[in-house]
Amino acid sequence: MSKLQANISGIIKSSVIDGPGNRMVIFFQECNLNCMYCHNSHTIGLCNLCGTCVHTCPSNSLKIDSKNKRIIHNENSCTRCDECLKVCPENSSPFYKQMSVEDIISEILEGKDFISGITVSGGEVMLHAPFLSLLFQEIRSNSELKHLSILIDSNGNIDQEKWNSLLPYIDGVMLDIKAYSANTHKKITGYSNEKILKSIHYLDNKSKLKELRFVLVPDYNNHEMEIREIAKLMKSVSPSVQKSLIKMRKHGIRKEFAHLIEPREEEIEYAKNIFSQAKLDILVI
Amino acid sequence: MNIESRRMEEIKDRVLQVLTDGNLDYRQKKHLLAYIAESTQAYPEISKEATAALNEKIICDLFEGNAPYRPRYVLPDYAYALKNGVNYLELEPPTNFDEAINFLSILYVQVPSITGYSVYLGNIDTLLLGYVDDLSEEEIYKKLKLFWQFIDRTLPDAFVHINIGPEDNIIARVILRIERELKQVVPNLTLKYDPEITSDELLLEASKTVFEVAKPHIANHKMTASDFKGEYGVVSCYNSLPVGGGSHTLIRLNLKKITDLHSGDADSFISGTLKKYCEMTLDVIEARTKYLVETVKYYDNDFLAKEGIISLDNFSAMFGFYGLAECVNQFMKRCGNELCYGKDEEANQLAHLILEEMKKIVDARELPYCKASNGKAFFHAQSGIDIDIEETAGARIPIGSEPDIYSHINAVAPHHHLFNGGISDIFHFDETVKRNRTAIVDIIKGAFRKGMRMFTFNLSNGEFIRITGYLVRRSDLLEFREEGSRYGSALFAANSMDNANVDNRVSKRVISNEQVAGKY
Ligand code: SF4
Ligand code: SF4
Repeated sequence: MSKLQANISGIIKSSVIDGPGNRMVIFFQECNLNCMYCHNSHTIGLCNLCGTCVHTCPSNSLKIDSKNKRIIHNENSCTRCDECLKVCPENSSPFYKQMSVEDIISEILEGKDFISGITVSGGEVMLHAPFLSLLFQEIRSNSELKHLSILIDSNGNIDQEKWNSLLPYIDGVMLDIKAYSANTHKKITGYSNEKILKSIHYLDNKSKLKELRFVLVPDYNNHEMEIREIAKLMKSVSPSVQKSLIKMRKHGIRKEFAHLIEPREEEIEYAKNIFSQAKLDILVI
Repeated sequence: MNIESRRMEEIKDRVLQVLTDGNLDYRQKKHLLAYIAESTQAYPEISKEATAALNEKIICDLFEGNAPYRPRYVLPDYAYALKNGVNYLELEPPTNFDEAINFLSILYVQVPSITGYSVYLGNIDTLLLGYVDDLSEEEIYKKLKLFWQFIDRTLPDAFVHINIGPEDNIIARVILRIERELKQVVPNLTLKYDPEITSDELLLEASKTVFEVAKPHIANHKMTASDFKGEYGVVSCYNSLPVGGGSHTLIRLNLKKITDLHSGDADSFISGTLKKYCEMTLDVIEARTKYLVETVKYYDNDFLAKEGIISLDNFSAMFGFYGLAECVNQFMKRCGNELCYGKDEEANQLAHLILEEMKKIVDARELPYCKASNGKAFFHAQSGIDIDIEETAGARIPIGSEPDIYSHINAVAPHHHLFNGGISDIFHFDETVKRNRTAIVDIIKGAFRKGMRMFTFNLSNGEFIRITGYLVRRSDLLEFREEGSRYGSALFAANSMDNANVDNRVSKRVISNEQVAGKY
């Protein structure tokens, strides 16, 4: 098997909220957007071994292993206080691990009897397209795993050709659209949304778009025009694509974005109305 | 005062206590008065040692009473009765759906049990399918809804158990719908599941129902059916027994207590103390069985037996145990490590070894009148009652120290095959799973692939709480503590909740009159 490795920030053996059925979810480290309301901001960046967390940890559970360019984490003494995550200047974490395709396959084999499939999530998984391609091929050629469904949870901010090598192996992609207007999108995520819009249409054309989600953030993307454009976009994709309206929640967001406010019930109703005027069947989560 | 008159005084006191207990209704009082009357008889003949073990609750007869005059678990062959009618009750074979339901309603009330309420109401979908004719789904729904109400109000005991499946059919589906709607404690419900027979849609309907009422339990049909010569039913708290028969008695051994009595290591325990007490438990089983069959002559006299609705040949007895977790953890401690049953492989291995040894002892003992299981007792992991304060039910992992669900299943599945008399483990799920019913289906299928026999749920914040082997409605518990409840099982549950950490686990199940008896 290939020596290719990926940075994995975590694996959840049983998730009931990342697609149909009971699923194993593999989270990849590193993201190419920087959403204000990111609930797992420590999965955005890569560690540069600056050592800040090592000095901050109150239980001395972290050590720099300069030879192997990684941080050693002592799980036994760690109190899970998360101080290390809060102080990291890179929006990164000392916890993620390098794993090979083989490592991940053996994790899946362990849980295979209990799951409908796997979901790869992040961070932004599509930054690891070559690794995913190998992983998925491995799953599809393994007689014990090939029946599993494979879903990708992505932000869509990726060049179109990156999807090509993966589409034959996957069952679908769950994508977020944070805003329709490029400006608003930039405010929320730090980046423009052209690639994302292209990804949405491309995947829909290939019948691989499974779910399209919109996160409602008051004062950013809750004006009528914005929601109408999002509704239009949702209407333009195939009716079989699940559409979801997600209330932004403040849980776990970074201090500098503490000014964000969660949408009130009326605001959700207002958005829902616009979607129903567009004759869209939308799930509110 | 001499001994006799002191005894008489004591009995009078017990009777008065029952008569004046405002938490008991008329029928519950009558049941308890009968229990007190029965307790005036001498216990079936057993050794002094066995008597002492019973008195110290090392061996527990689950308040079956001193003088067994009816079998503990009776599973009438309702299909046979429907086909042939019942002379004793002057019932002709029914010719349509209404008559069939009426027939069963009458028969249910006549079936004896320890609690006074039948523990088995049949594989109801297969029983009724032949009478559906051209009834629409709505018509079936209306009729069954009344039937369900009748069952709950007339047989108010959570050990009353009904089965559906494994085939997907209109009756099974309508019943699940009614369960979701009525949210009754009774009847307890098991779906027999076989991936080759049962449709995924029916399993999905079942899991949807589980979220509402914490039932049905799902039984591994293929595995269970292979343990029986004929049909089987899942009754009371997860006992699997032959239809047209049942179990004379269920006696359980307290593994925690015999571990405390034993001073050596696990090896000497298995070859010495464990063997000794298993044999003693089997002695009690044998004595009670003989009393029922030879002294009371139950099987010669009861109309069910006379008319072939049950037959002695389909009966056996049950050997149960509880407190495996405490036993294993104690031996782990004695050899100097704090390894825990459920969490550590070494402890799990010891648990499997103890269970396998017990099974061997049970299988080596010929018992009279146990033809249904080839002259051996059914081996059963008993799911606990309200007086169990220090002991964990059967072979379960203690409440609060369960590992994650896959590890949990991997820890317990390897011994499920041993329990031809039934076993249950409770798995905890939180609310998020409601959004994704297929996830439960995946986990059930996985659990059965790993060799589990029975899958039982526990949902946080549900309206129903699973206690040890039965369901209770949360509101009934409260109400009982305040003013008594229609359900005998609520009393048991209130005691269970007080005695164990069951509240922690947030599930429910009602128990029954049988344990309640021990209090008076
Ligand atoms: S979470 Fe653990 S490693 Fe991080 S700072 Fe706290 S104790 Fe240290
Ligand atoms: S995890 Fe963050 S704080 Fe810790 S060494 Fe890496 S970059 Fe620095």
